[in-house]
This record gives sequence, C-alpha cells and structure tokens, in this order.
Amino acid sequence: MTGTASRARSAFTHLLIILIAFVNLAPLLIVVSSSLRSPSNMTNPLNWFNEFTFESFRSAFNRMHFPTALLNSVILTGVSVIFVVLLAAMAAYPMARIRSKTSKFLYLFFLSGLVVPGQMVLIPIIQMIKDLGIPMNQYTPILMFITCSLPFSTFLYTGFIRSSVPEEMEEAAHLDGAGLFRRFWIIVFPLILPVTVSVVITQGVWIWNDYFFNMVFITKALESPIPVAMLGFLGDQQNPAQWNVLFAACILCVLPLLFAFLFLQKYFIGGLTVGSVKG
Amino acid sequence: MNRAVMKKTMYFFVLPALIFYLLFWIIPILKLFQYSVTDYNGYVQSFNYIGFDNFKTLAHEEILGVSIKNTLLYTFISVILGNIIALALAFLLNANIRAKGLYRSAFYIPTLFSAIVVGFIWSYIYMPDEGLIASLLNKLGITGIDTNFLGSYDKSLYSIIAVDIWKNIGTSTIIFLAGLQTVPHDLIEAGKIDGAGRWNLVRYIKIPLLATSVTINVTLSVINGLKAFDYSYIMTNGGPGTSTNTLIFAIYKMAFTEQLFGKASALGIISFAIIIVITAAFVLTLNRKEVSA
Repeated sequence: MTGTASRARSAFTHLLIILIAFVNLAPLLIVVSSSLRSPSNMTNPLNWFNEFTFESFRSAFNRMHFPTALLNSVILTGVSVIFVVLLAAMAAYPMARIRSKTSKFLYLFFLSGLVVPGQMVLIPIIQMIKDLGIPMNQYTPILMFITCSLPFSTFLYTGFIRSSVPEEMEEAAHLDGAGLFRRFWIIVFPLILPVTVSVVITQGVWIWNDYFFNMVFITKALESPIPVAMLGFLGDQQNPAQWNVLFAACILCVLPLLFAFLFLQKYFIGGLTVGSVKG
Repeated sequence: MNRAVMKKTMYFFVLPALIFYLLFWIIPILKLFQYSVTDYNGYVQSFNYIGFDNFKTLAHEEILGVSIKNTLLYTFISVILGNIIALALAFLLNANIRAKGLYRSAFYIPTLFSAIVVGFIWSYIYMPDEGLIASLLNKLGITGIDTNFLGSYDKSLYSIIAVDIWKNIGTSTIIFLAGLQTVPHDLIEAGKIDGAGRWNLVRYIKIPLLATSVTINVTLSVINGLKAFDYSYIMTNGGPGTSTNTLIFAIYKMAFTEQLFGKASALGIISFAIIIVITAAFVLTLNRKEVSA
C-alpha cells in the first residue's frame, strides 16, 4: 500500500470515529452549555454556549447540599468497597485452591446471585434487617452494597487466583512454617492486586451511582449521597423552565467520577478487562 | 499438591462472605417462595396462606403477558443492537491510528453516569416540541414526525431501550477491544498469506477468537436486559399505560404502590424462572461455541 493511500484511509477512520463520537456525546455538550446559563435563560438549548455564568450551578449546588452529599457518597462507597475487597478475596481463596464438589458448588452459588434483581427481594431484605435488630439509617445500604457485589467480585478473584497465582509459591511459604492466614495475606493478597483494582473500580462505580438501595433506606436530605440528592429533581425533568439548574446538577453529579476517570484512566479500562480476557 | 498445604480449614475464609450472602440475599429470595402463596401486604406482619391464588390471578391479568413481552423485547433488542454496535466500534477503534485512547474514552464516559443522570439527560432529548431531537428536526425543517417519544404507546419502549444501549455501549466496546488485542498477530499474517480478504479475516479469524468476549458481553447484556428497571422507573413510570412495564418494574409497582406483596412475590417467582432459564440457555450455548487461539 502506498503512503498516501494509507494516510487517506487513516484520515477517513479518524473522521468516521470523530463523527460517531460527536453524535454520541452531543447530548452532553448541550447539557454542559445549558448548565452554564442562568436559570432564567430560556432560549433554545441548541443555541449553545450563548451565556457563561455559574448561577445555575450555585442553585443546584445548594439544592443538592452538594458538599454533604459528596461526603456521604465517599463514605458509603469507600466503606462498602473495602469490605467487598476483603470478603470477596478471602472467599475466593478456597474456591480457587480446593478442587472438590463443595468448592465448585460454592463458586456457582455465589455467581448465580448475579441474576437476581434487588427490586424483587427488597421487602424480605428489609424484614431481615429488622429481625436482626440492625438500625435503619444512612449506613444501612452498605450491607446491600457489600452483598450485591459479592457474586461478581468472587467470580473475578477466583478466576484470577486459579490462573495467575502459582501454588508453588505457597508451598515454599508452607515449608517455612507460614500458616494459612499468613500465606493468604502475605503471598496471595498482594499478587491479586490487578483484580483488586478491577473490583474497586467496577463495584465502586455501581455503588457510587446506585440510587435504589439508598433511596429505600435514606429518608433525610442531609443523609443522602449524590444520586439520592439528584432524585429531588425528578419532578423537573419535564419542565423546561428548570432545565438549566437540572443540567448543572447532572454535571455536579458526574464530576467526581469523571475526575477519578481522568486520573486513573488506565485502571478503569484495565479493570474492565481483567476478568474478560482470561475468561 | 500437598494436602497439608491446601487444607479443608481453608473453607473458613468463605464464612464472612457467605454469612452476608445468605442473610441478605439467599434467605430473602427463599422467603419470596413463602410469600408468593400468601396475601401479605408487605407492611403488617399478619397474613393468610391462600394457595396458588396469586398465580391464578396473575394468569388472568394482562400485566403478566405485557411485562414478559416488554422484558423479552427489551432484552432481545438491547443484546443484539448493543453488541453489534459495540463490536463495530471495537473494530473501528482497533485500527492502527493515533489518539486511540482519547476516542475510547469518548465512548466510555457515559458508562460512568448514574442511571438517574442518564434518565434526566434523555428525558430532555426525547421531550416533545422542545427536546433535543424535536428542536433539531425543527431546525432542519423536518416536520410531520411525531416527537413524543416517551409519551406514545408504540415508541416509548424502544426509546428507553436506546437509552440503555447508549449507556452500556462503552463497557461492551472495551471488552471487545481487549478481546481483539489478544488475537495473535501471526495468525492474521498467516491468513493474509493464504489469501484471505479483509472480510474473511474478520469472519474466520477475529470473530471466532473473540468468543470469550462475546460470551461475557452477551451474558452481561442478557442479565442487564432481563433485570431492566431503571429507565422505566425514572423516565416513564412504566407508561404510557403499561407500554414500558418490564417484569421488574411491574413487581416493584405491585409491591410498593399497590401494596400487594404476596402477588408481587408470585410475579417475582415467575420472573426468577424466566431469568434463570434464559441466562442458563445462553451461557451453555455460548460456552460450547468458544474456541481458543
């Protein structure tokens, strides 16, 4: 192939991708442009970027109690993810190492939980929480975030320990007198860091974005994480007069994860594929 | 391996996770079976066992058929279209060009958004008269197209399926892309030497070797489709009429709005059976078709 032909082809590919990406992201551009208008600017959103002010942001910021909501989201997601990593990594260890019917059953038992939607079992879950005498407050959703993250996380960890953590390393440690507990924490856990990154990112994103369990357990505005604070705008989506503020709220809502993505891009993309390439 | 090294005591490691999983997931699921034969309302802890009445009532009501049909349609379209578009994008992004990472991010960004934000943004896009699509058509001078996407019986379901595809396409694309990057280069070269054209390389080498990513993407999107709830809840509230009532939305509405938890449990059991059968069928067929490099 001649240089010009290949350059023309690559230019065409660029053009095609940019076009598709533009169509894909056009709604977001409108959202950004509208959020930068004053709340009363009712001109057609298609006349984009015709005003620059943070008035709508200020209004959304106050209505969502943004700093409090952000802090609540950080606590809920952070605590949940730490527990998910600890519980799932530990649970995966014997499932990956022991080859028996029990082990295989446990593996499938955990995985099968993936197909059950939370909306279906919510009432018995609430009953269980009451029966156990667990107080219902802003931290109760953490229980559900941990539980619902277990199927996928144990699946990822088990696959990775099986395929990428050699048993021989543990054997050596065993001969040196290391017990099971030490072997797991000193040898296995550090080696499964790639999956830990994957679990933190995939589960962290859904927990951060979840509105359902949060909405069920959290009733006070000042206890709400960001997605629940967003629910307060539910009545405004059909009301063009509120769009600029609504869009500013949308931007505020996605900003924290976008920042995280910007700085940790490699891990976000890699995290998605750890489980998928090895299969 | 030495039995002394991998002992049964290892199973203690499963316990903490297992306790959470049993208490807050498995036992509540089992309770659904119990409630499905009662007239429990979900609030007052007193109820009667009424046999299979809930199932009988459901069998006579339109909502069962409608929500099964909507859910299957939702799943079918989002799985097929979502994966085809993602696969095409992955091939495009796998080309040997600069700024690949930037483009990849452009498609990945919507997957970071909460369903609420996605629902809000698309409510604006679909808004009749003043929404993005309506005003674009208007600007281009195209008239006579009904732009009431969420408010019309025959468009609302397809409209929310499109939203779901938009939101999830980034994840599938990246998984396909990772699959494409594992296709060994010498295999492609060998194919070229044997005279395989561009399309044949795709058809006979790349797609078969993508099988693992296909299995993962299809399985995840099937599960996602069968569990569809978010956009019916946020954007259409199941309506207009029952046109966007998915199984899970119907269960939610029955349990929380109508306070018929017994009946909702019965519908839950039916959904459960449907989800398990379909997912198992997919996983088994796809696993059999996988080949390795």
